[in-house]
Order: sequence, then C-alpha cells, then structure tokens
Amino acid sequence: MISAISLANYAVNGLVEGLLIALPALSLTLVMGIAGFANAATGDYMTVSAYAAVTMQKALAASLLLAAAGALAAGVALALLCHWLVFRPLARRPAVTSLVASIGVALLVRSVLTFFAGHDQQSIQTPLMRAWNFGGLRLLPTDLAVAGVAVGALLAVFALLHGTPIGRQMRAVADNPDLARASGIRARRVMLALWAMAGALCATGGVLYGVKAVIMPDLGWELLIAAFAAMVLGGIGNPGGAVLASVLLGLAQELSVPLVGPSYKIAVAFAALLLVLLARPRGLFGTALAAR
Amino acid sequence: MTRIDETRRSVCLAGAALLGSALAPAAARAAQQDVFRIGALNSITGSGASYGPGMQKTILRAVSEINAAGGAGGRRLQVYAEDDQTKPEAAVLAAKKLLDVNRVQAILGTFSSGVTLAVMPLTNAAGAILMNTSGAPAITTQNVAGLSWRFEATNDRYGRAFAQAVAQGGFQRPAIMAFNNASGISNTQGFKTAWEARGGKVVASVVYEPNRPSYRSELQQILDAKPDVVVMGSYLPDTTLILREWYQSGQDVKWVMPGWAGNADLVKALGAEVCEGVRVVQTIANEGSPALAHFDEIYKAETGKDGSTSIYAAMCYDMVVTLALAMEAAGPGATTAQVNACIPKVAGGQGKPVDSFEAGREALKQGPVSYQGASSRLNFDASGDASPDFSISMIRGGEIVRQGRVSV
Repeated sequence: MISAISLANYAVNGLVEGLLIALPALSLTLVMGIAGFANAATGDYMTVSAYAAVTMQKALAASLLLAAAGALAAGVALALLCHWLVFRPLARRPAVTSLVASIGVALLVRSVLTFFAGHDQQSIQTPLMRAWNFGGLRLLPTDLAVAGVAVGALLAVFALLHGTPIGRQMRAVADNPDLARASGIRARRVMLALWAMAGALCATGGVLYGVKAVIMPDLGWELLIAAFAAMVLGGIGNPGGAVLASVLLGLAQELSVPLVGPSYKIAVAFAALLLVLLARPRGLFGTALAAR
Repeated sequence: MTRIDETRRSVCLAGAALLGSALAPAAARAAQQDVFRIGALNSITGSGASYGPGMQKTILRAVSEINAAGGAGGRRLQVYAEDDQTKPEAAVLAAKKLLDVNRVQAILGTFSSGVTLAVMPLTNAAGAILMNTSGAPAITTQNVAGLSWRFEATNDRYGRAFAQAVAQGGFQRPAIMAFNNASGISNTQGFKTAWEARGGKVVASVVYEPNRPSYRSELQQILDAKPDVVVMGSYLPDTTLILREWYQSGQDVKWVMPGWAGNADLVKALGAEVCEGVRVVQTIANEGSPALAHFDEIYKAETGKDGSTSIYAAMCYDMVVTLALAMEAAGPGATTAQVNACIPKVAGGQGKPVDSFEAGREALKQGPVSYQGASSRLNFDASGDASPDFSISMIRGGEIVRQGRVSV
C-alpha cells in the first residue's frame, strides 16, 4: 500500500524534475514560435554552460555565484554566435534547413567539448546539506534551490515577454511575422533578444542540472527529447504551455514509479503525451492552425 | 632504375632470391610447421585504450620470453598484433584479417564483452582458441565449442563476492539497485542468487535507467523497504548521483558496490564524508605469487608503470604462459584442437602447482600441472571461466582500505 507521505515525496521529485526540464522546453518553444524551427542544439547549449561553470570553479576557484554568471555569459554567447554564423544566414530557407543545421551545430559543439573536456564526469561543487524532514516528507535544500532558481528564471522570462516593449515585439513576431514587419518591428533586434533569452534559459538549466546531477558531454542531448515532448504537449510556440507541460510530464513520470517501477516511468510520461495529443492534436494550449 | 649501382644491387638481390627459392621450399615447410601463430587483439584505441596498449605489450614480451626459452611443444610462437578500437565492428574486421590472412590459431586479449561476443563466432568457425578478459555471462553460454577461455571473473562470481561482503558486514536486510544493462543486472542477480542460497532474503530491488537528472524516486522505492544495506550493480556517474541524493536525504543505510563505481573518482566527486563506510568489491591479482612478481617486472620495463595498475595485462601474461604450457603438453605438431584440450591439464586446478613456463615444462614430464598465474590461480572450470579472488575494501577518511580477501 502506498502511503500519502510516499506519494507526496514522489510528487516533489516530479515537480523538481519538471521545473528543470521547463527551462530548455521554454527555450525550445520560444525559438520555435519566433524563429520558426526546432533547435536541436538546445541541449548542447546547456552542456556548454554547465562545463563553463565547472571550468570557472576549477581553473579560477570562482564562487558558485560567479561560476553561474560565467555559465550564463557562455550560454548567451554561444546562442548568439550560432545565430550569427548559422541560423541568420539560413533564415530565408525552409525551416527544415535550420533544423538540420541545428543538429549539425549540436554534434559539432559536443565534439569540440569532448575534445577539450574528455569523457570523464565533472561536478559543480556545492555544499551538501541534509534534507528537511516534515513528518516523512523530505525536502532537499538543493532541490528547493534548483526549483526556486528555475521558477525565478521562468518568471523573469515571462516578465520580459509581457512587460517590456521588446517582449511585446517578440510576441507580435510569433503571432504574425508579416503583420509585425508591416507595423515597423525590426526583426534583427527581436532575433537578438530571442537568442539571448534562449541561451540564458539553457545556461540556467545547465547549471541547475550540474548542481543536481553529474556533468557529462551528453547531458543536454539526453534531455532534449523530454524538452521536446513538453513543447509539443504545451502547444508548440506557447511559453506558458511548455512550462506547465514540463511539470505535468515530470509529475506523471515520478508518480508512476510506485505503480510500474522506474524502468517504465519514462514510457508512462510518453504514453500520457500520446493520449493528450490523440484527443487534442494542437497540444494543451496550442491554437489551431488555419489551413492555408 | 637509372643509376648503375642500384641496378647492380637489384641484380644481386634477384640472384640471391633465385638461389634462395631454389633451396628454400623444404626448409620453409619445416619452419612453417615449427610456428604457432597467435593474434594479439587489444583495445589500443577507444574506451578500453587505458588498458589495451599495456596488454598488447605484455603479450609481445611474454611471447619473446617463451621463444627465448626454446619455444613450446617444439614450436616458436609468432604474434600478429591488431587494434579492436574497443568496438565490435572493428574487432570483427581485425579478427577476420588475423584468421584468414595471418591464419592465427589463437586470438588473445579481447577486453570488452561486446568485442569478445562479436569475435567468438569467427574463432569458433575457424576452430581457433579465444582468450578474453570480459565479464558478461553470455560468454559462458555462447562458448559452445569450448574454445573460449575467460581470465576475468564472471558477473556471477561478482555476485557471490557481494554476498560475502554483505554477510561479513553482518547485514540482514539487503536491497539491490541495478543499472539497466547486462552487467548491472547480472551482477545484482548473481548476488540475489548467492544470498538466497545462504537462506537470506532481498527486501527490495530496483532497475534504473541511465542518464537521469535525479534518482530520488528510485532511492525512495528502495529505502521504503527499510534495508540495512544496498548492493549496487552500477557505474560511476549514476553512483555519484545516487549517493549524493541519499546522503542529503539523511536516511541510514550502508552501501556495497563494484570497484569500477566505488573508487578514487567517487571520493573526488562527493568528498570523504559521503563515501565513509562504503564497501567496495573488486577482483585482485594473485598476490604474493612468483608469477605476479615476474609480470610486475616486465610490465614496468615495458610501460614504466606498476603491474598493479593493470590486472588485465596480468591476465594477458597468463594467457601466453597457459597457451605455451598447453602446447608443451600437447606435444610437437599438435592441432589447435589438441592444444585447446590440454588447457585444463595445465591450468585446471588439478596437478602440481607451478609458477612459470619453464617450471611447468619440467613438471609436465611427470604429469598434469596447475599454472598459478599472475592474475589469479586460474583453475578453469568446465565452462572455461577462471576464478580470480576478490578483495573487500571500505572507504575510510577518503581512502580505500582493504578489509579482506575472498575466494568464491
């Protein structure tokens, strides 16, 4: 028999994992909505940022905060660099060209990283603290910090999207690129803001992952499918949907552990995704695309 | 070919070659019969590259020692060295070349289980001997031709050593956590079988997926059963994550894990406090044996490193000595099958214990011998699996401290 406390613990695990996935999922869905393609290098932006934090800690003996700032800079710089070198020149080609190019970017970034950093595992050094125990409900301070930072980053992105002129312009481009251009919105600035935001989200995700788990060259690539699933479930291009879907998938996954065991929990999350898409092909919060 | 002196030299060479070929056939045929060809198929590149080069150098050195001692069974050994890249596909190509072009009668030194399993059908079809250092249980079941000899402990034996470690720790309620692959699962299943044979019971069992950002739910499932010890069939990255989350959750349980997970890198990643009291089980060399002392000497000469850094090179040394003794036992002109049939007679645990090829060659005149190797006492069982000893260690203050040695 599964106790309520046990279920609550599983739910906490699901929530934290969901919030962690929400960061790359939001990056993915923003790029999809505004630049119009699925960026397969999203995960590798995370990996590079995580390694940047490790390098800051190891080589410069930087504090955790400084290392995180370095990772943020690395994530934003990488995203902008790829935009200038690869995605902007391809902007007028069909979206699939950019998608394929992003797979190439992902492979290249990972190979270069592996060449310099090797296959050995790395970790971001953080103080280990014992869990707070509320009558059997165990909350790890690390998990709370991870969840707190993730929520903060998500809120910051939503504040930017909804409370600033550039955010409004980004949403306008996502909504209707032609109308946006006709209204005098400068696409160049919007794209810079988009990629800076996408890079920052990936960097935050990468550092949080590094704090919670271990850092390997495949870290981000392994998370990509989960982030992609969340984007689809939330309705492609819908930022709020992506975040909510990440949390729902995380909860479904962890709460299924007492029923099916950890080997099949991932399958349960994807079965849930499949069922929702069968009933609602546009995802939970997607708007139906009009036939052209 | 414009310069005169070169033309003259090539004429001379051609003349010598003609003369040679006129005299050679009989001698060449005799020489061919006097050579036993072996392939050294090692992981020079790829993920096994930290061991492969030392293994290959050891094989070459051991072979030259046998030849310097006058060869085995009236024959000289000749080695053809290849790189398997730690990849089954590359290994198959290299093995085909060794078997078809070089016509080797034995392949020595395959390291990864995937490589050994890929090469085995080829050696079986060619009737060649295969000596490996791999752990997967499937190698035993696929060894239908009886031509494969495993110098590493099987995962089943690891399981029995885990059971010893748990019993010695005085634990009553073990649980198991396994990484979802053949090695992880068969190590822990081996433990379960051995533990239940002792009348014990496993209170919980979890198989987990690789590359997860967290293993808290998996841990929770295990800890809900209130075990006093968790036996791990795991690797380094997942173990790092699991122990960190366990330590933070503050629940009281002890850990038993294989040496490739519980090592200095684990302590480096987590710190001494988290790792305190972790029990580590791993295979060890045949400590105190003259064969190990000699291997250590030649390994240092070949690589500049201590012999203790590569148990797999010690196994390769034993492969060459075992094969040479079997050739000696089979006698001059024996077929590969006859040599293969003699391996249990020289390293099967029955007979007079010997420590080297020369000592074995002398003792074989009286009857069967039991070569006591550098890597283990060998004692091949009916399935062709050797029986290395294990050490049980405990991590104390960040150091891995040997507690004892067990034979299973």
